[in-house]
Amino acid sequence: MASPKTVPKDAQVMMQILKDMGITEYEPRVINQMLEFTYRYVTTIIEDAKIYSTHAKKSNVDADDVRLAIQCRVDQSFTSPPPRDFLLDIARQKNQTPLPLIKPYTGPRLPPDRYCLTTPNYRLKSLQKKVSSSAGRITVPRLSVGAVSSRPSTPTLGTPSVQTVGTKVGTPVSLSGQRFTVQIPSSQAASVKSVQNVLINPSLIGSKNILITTNMVSQNSSSDSSSLKRKHEDEDDYDAL
Amino acid sequence: MAAVQDGPMELDAEKETKPEILSDGTSNLSGNTASGTLSSSPLTAAPAGGAPKMENQQTLIAVLQFLKRNKLTDSVEILRREAGLGEDQEDSQATDGSGGGKGDGDGGDAHSLLSRVSITSAAAPQNMPVKRADDQPDVSVVLSAYSQQGDPSLYQVYYSGLKNFIESVLDCHRAELSQLFYPLFVHMYLELVYNNHENEAKAFFEKFSGDQECYYQDDLRILCGLTKREHLKGNEVLLDFRTSRFVLRISRDSYQLLKRHLQERHNNQIWNIIQEHLYIDIFDGMPRSKSQIDSMSGSLAGEAKREVNKAKVFYGLLKEPEIEVPLDDEDDEAENEEGKPKKKKTKKDSLGSKSKKQDPNAPQQNRIPLPELKDSDKLDKIMYMKESTKRIRLGPENLPSICFYTFLNAYQGLTAVDFTDDSSLLAGGFADSTVRVWSVTPKKLRKVKSAADLNNIDKESDDVLERIMDEKTASESKILYGHSGPVYGVSFSPDRNYLLSSSEDGTVRLWSLLTFTCLVGYKGHNYPVWDTQFSPFGYYFVSGGHDRVARLWATDHYQPLRIFAGHLADVTCTRFHPNSNYVATGSTDRTVRLWDVLNGNCVRILTGHKGPVHSLAFSPNGKFLASGSTDGRVLLWDIGHGLMIGELKGHTDTIYALKFSRDGEILASGSMDNTVRLWDSMKAFDEVETDDFTATTGHIHLPDNSQELLLGMYHSKSTPVTHLHFTRRNLLLAAGGYNSQ
Repeated sequence: MASPKTVPKDAQVMMQILKDMGITEYEPRVINQMLEFTYRYVTTIIEDAKIYSTHAKKSNVDADDVRLAIQCRVDQSFTSPPPRDFLLDIARQKNQTPLPLIKPYTGPRLPPDRYCLTTPNYRLKSLQKKVSSSAGRITVPRLSVGAVSSRPSTPTLGTPSVQTVGTKVGTPVSLSGQRFTVQIPSSQAASVKSVQNVLINPSLIGSKNILITTNMVSQNSSSDSSSLKRKHEDEDDYDAL
Repeated sequence: MAAVQDGPMELDAEKETKPEILSDGTSNLSGNTASGTLSSSPLTAAPAGGAPKMENQQTLIAVLQFLKRNKLTDSVEILRREAGLGEDQEDSQATDGSGGGKGDGDGGDAHSLLSRVSITSAAAPQNMPVKRADDQPDVSVVLSAYSQQGDPSLYQVYYSGLKNFIESVLDCHRAELSQLFYPLFVHMYLELVYNNHENEAKAFFEKFSGDQECYYQDDLRILCGLTKREHLKGNEVLLDFRTSRFVLRISRDSYQLLKRHLQERHNNQIWNIIQEHLYIDIFDGMPRSKSQIDSMSGSLAGEAKREVNKAKVFYGLLKEPEIEVPLDDEDDEAENEEGKPKKKKTKKDSLGSKSKKQDPNAPQQNRIPLPELKDSDKLDKIMYMKESTKRIRLGPENLPSICFYTFLNAYQGLTAVDFTDDSSLLAGGFADSTVRVWSVTPKKLRKVKSAADLNNIDKESDDVLERIMDEKTASESKILYGHSGPVYGVSFSPDRNYLLSSSEDGTVRLWSLLTFTCLVGYKGHNYPVWDTQFSPFGYYFVSGGHDRVARLWATDHYQPLRIFAGHLADVTCTRFHPNSNYVATGSTDRTVRLWDVLNGNCVRILTGHKGPVHSLAFSPNGKFLASGSTDGRVLLWDIGHGLMIGELKGHTDTIYALKFSRDGEILASGSMDNTVRLWDSMKAFDEVETDDFTATTGHIHLPDNSQELLLGMYHSKSTPVTHLHFTRRNLLLAAGGYNSQ
């Protein structure tokens, strides 16, 4: 351990605390972790206290504000397990129901599917084999996602070009609160191609990540990126997420 | 029903418990009433044997005082008139105080009777300045668990007074009465803290903390950091300590001494605290010696009341199902299935019980629903029996060989290990939240082919079970990702199809060992789950965690089936009994509890450890339980009687691994001090002599024979032992993570 002379005062305080609590063996990183935690905790509390005191239109932060700040933070981050009488109560309730009988020979005994992690929470788009009826038309749906704007490709006759607009949106982006629209050029309406939406079960994903995919309508079905196609989701229904 | 008194102090609860202690006293009185001439008139109103009557008396007086305090004089008059209480009667009781009995000169009998009745009003005539709000301990004691019991600056005086008294009594009583020191100290300190007398609390602590027993030092260290009331708020363990009653076992003689002393003095604060926070389990007989007391004490809630450990426990084993064991090869068996007698040399299951009668100590087969055996299970059982015929008989002359599996490069992150029963697979849980499965045999781990490939195989072929396995991704080990916190417990299912893992993120995950993917996440504990284990028959599993409860789950229910609540601190270790009807849990509150799966009741509370209990092991015959803790001792318990029958000293650090050999002759223990020790459990259990006396009072005379029972001690270079496992042939496997420091 570093000699006390070169160790800063706060770290000496931490070392003394550890000694008082009877902890004699610890890695040196523990002191740093404790200092970091203390700094973070104290600044959070004092900032909260400042907010409360300005809310109460006081000129100075006083002990009541600090007490309130501590109380609010305790309920948030330092939760403790439920009290004993509550546990005994729910235990009594739970233990009254008899043990359920076991059905014979039902294969793997697992809870209903929605409580298991066995179902996939994504679905892959099948390969697009059908070709657009309008010859040589390549149409790209316009996409505007917040700040990200898509570059519409210019449909050129005869030259199939594949662009993946979605590359700007590399990984699934959290789209909570963002609206975006998909403009499908009207000419495409004639095409048989339909955008297959990705079925997403929000409960399985949990958070609001939505997979964005671009649907490339390509004349050339041999495009290599067909397996990598990703789809747009029509987000008009989803804005309240 | 939890055995420890729990719940907030309600009026009824308080009144019920007081007569408990009262009735002990009154039954004593009835034996001695011949000499009792009760001189003062109020006493005649309360005859000796009338415990319920005294209870009403007390309530009445309490109510009267409450009314008086609130200046409801008219009501006081009316109540007094109707209850037939003379005014002087009540006042005399009030003014008698604790010294009133002196006038009788009848020794303890009338004295104690008077003091019972006057105890509730004792505080009134205090001759020292007492706060108005808290000099009515009858009402306030009844209404709240946190009422102040007197002037804070005098707590030191009370405590030293008690200390002097106890030091002056006879030796045989001193040991028993010294048990009072610790709970009184803690309760008085917490009361001072709770009522915001910080300086007095600190002074009190400094003066008396050094006197406490050495095994309470950890608790005291935590206490000395608590100086303000706010500190108490988040600390569930201490709040539970405050509301539950610390149990002390004291012999009748010592108790009489104590009572007499406390009631002779003017201050009854200590008596009040005793009545409120302590439960004194009085027994008839010889006072216990210091060593006897030391061996049983140490837990956070004192010892266990005697009646708690009286419930019947079915510790016998379930009958093995009868399975035909063919001695020939399986090919021949196929021919003989028609039942042709000529070549059939089948042998009935020789390991099953020969007698048709039910073992009286074994539970009914259908006491709890158990999954029935599938064909694969039956094949497993046949393999088991074949291997057990080749089992080595262990004993003091025949020690097992030990094979140690050292986890290298785990960077001290190995937190849990488990072996399958046939020792073919090994699983490790790590602090980086992964679970890794290794194959111990040369056979590699294979998972089932993907759906696309499965379409292509020939479903009718004989070895379809082999064909569904994917050879291309076979490997020695597989890694399972899914948890979001260190994995603290792993457990294989008996049929080797599933693996359970419990983690700091509060979930228990079920993994399939056929596809090596996660199947279910069981959420219920919202706090770290320290241990989990599958039942010996599969289907059920138990988990215990930081929220102080253990939960029983079934794989096909997403919510727990049973909740075992009662511990005062985290549940660190959970084990099933071999007959799957009981679950043992070890906890940080230094007790081991045995729970009944059928109805969730706690049937045994075993105290005696001086540190958190980290490992448990049932003996294969189901009668005994071994537990190991941070204090380095292994304690052996007789489950049927609920008594401690042995103590194995020797380890110098926490014992994390305990296992009995397959026939129960040897107990192996592994600890953080890098050693594996082998103990002669046969000898330890043979020496048990439980006569009626010990069974009723729960006293044990532990022979100090740890040295004789130690059969061998084996050091690893610097690897603490995390897990132990006896193979079916009694080879001992040990596992641990290499610690380079």
